[in-house]
Amino acid sequence: MKNLIFALAAVAALLTVPAVAQEGHPLKGSWLGTWTGNKIHGNDVLLVMSWDGKNVTGTINPGTDNIVIKNAMLNPEGWLVHIEAEAKDKSGQPLTYTIDGKIENLPLANRVVTGTWKDSRGDTGAFKIGRQ
Amino acid sequence: MISMTTCRRVLRAACFAAALAVPSALLVAHHEPLAKFDDKKPVRLRGVVTLVDWRNPHAHVFVNVKSGEQVSNWAVELESPIDLEANGWSRTTIQPGDAITVAGLAARDGSRQMWGTAVAMTANGKRIFSVNMAPPPMPLQPRPTPKWPDGQPRLGSVAGGAQGYWAFPSATALVESGANVPMDEWGLLKNIADAPKVAPMQAWALQLYKERQQRFLRDDPMYLNCKPPGGPRQFELSHGVQFVEDRVRQRIFVLIGSGNNNYRIVYTDGRSHQGQVGGDDENPLFYGRSVGKWEGDTLVMDTRGFNEDFWFTNGGLPHTDQLKLIEKISRPNFDTLKYDLTVDDQGAYTRPWTASWTLRWVAGKDMPRHLCQENRS
Repeated sequence: MKNLIFALAAVAALLTVPAVAQEGHPLKGSWLGTWTGNKIHGNDVLLVMSWDGKNVTGTINPGTDNIVIKNAMLNPEGWLVHIEAEAKDKSGQPLTYTIDGKIENLPLANRVVTGTWKDSRGDTGAFKIGRQ
Repeated sequence: MISMTTCRRVLRAACFAAALAVPSALLVAHHEPLAKFDDKKPVRLRGVVTLVDWRNPHAHVFVNVKSGEQVSNWAVELESPIDLEANGWSRTTIQPGDAITVAGLAARDGSRQMWGTAVAMTANGKRIFSVNMAPPPMPLQPRPTPKWPDGQPRLGSVAGGAQGYWAFPSATALVESGANVPMDEWGLLKNIADAPKVAPMQAWALQLYKERQQRFLRDDPMYLNCKPPGGPRQFELSHGVQFVEDRVRQRIFVLIGSGNNNYRIVYTDGRSHQGQVGGDDENPLFYGRSVGKWEGDTLVMDTRGFNEDFWFTNGGLPHTDQLKLIEKISRPNFDTLKYDLTVDDQGAYTRPWTASWTLRWVAGKDMPRHLCQENRS
């Protein structure tokens, strides 16, 4: 666990920029936080998302074992976020994550997404990430 | 019979009323005053000056106001010392101990702060700290465009000749050409329902723009964090721009009077957008990377490679790092600079769109020097 936290922190340090408000697409950037109760991929989570003008793309926990975001949507009415990602469990079996949340503090440097996560095995928990 | 004392009192009151009745435009403050002050909460107070804080971006006068037996200290925010000094005022115009009367707007947060729209000496009603930001009068006959020996128009001052800079933009916020959208000098919409008319925004950008507007532009990073006025915003600001044309090295410097007193470089030597500054190939910039060429009498600047950490216009229209700008600059006569812009940002807008405005030559003066201080907007 300590190694994972260290690795996440190292990746975050490499990928992130100083915490100033990002003024472009609200989801773009590096996000660090927790998906509480995730027994397979741990409590800590790092998302890196981008915006090409039509689609939000990105990865969860970047690295050689990263989780690819297959579908991500932002509904500006209420700034609702929906993310689907394809992972593998410890035995190599496909595992789908679904994250639903809402952006809070949108204009501020400490923008966060809060909500819930669930996986295709039925596990679920709280989700919270803050933009770095 | 009315005594002389009464006469003087009446006269003084009339002078003061007249002074405060003069419409006072919120012209050149550095942040949107309505971000901090409420135009639906007029306030008027009379008191004694305790301190004059003569610092950019805004001068403040602190006033002790007596109400019954209570004395409370108010902070009166004024225009910037740059603009006040340009209108003949100084830090010694009033002194601690002077009695003044102030009309203006109360702070939204209920604190003892106000935006001073009219300040007068209580003793004689003399109005002080008024600011007139009218552009200089145009000559009766347009003066010819100054040119280099090869016939190319000169955009800046002439060594040993005409000195000056460009200011008084005819538009101070970006709006698509042809759209009629009432807004104030800082780009705050008079009617939020007009937001979709401003530019062809994608849904997320429109919602973000609306929220910035509904917060009275208080999140503007140019004021909060001294972020540079990249893109067209440098041509919208009150302290103007100045061009320095380095024809030997084939580049043009655009010096910016507002924001944080920065500059941008436009290369005219035919290079591409890549790798113009050491190591920045992958590093998006506040001013992007600009290359320019002359097409007849028009300088055409192509700029891309912007970062997303700033607002590229007053009013808070969003942009992304996909932003590309084509800026066309011409000088149809000595006193007029024409600025035509095409915005192409597929990350935030549904199609390319255009805007244009003019700036006026301010003759014989150097551009004001404004230095930004974070959280002193």
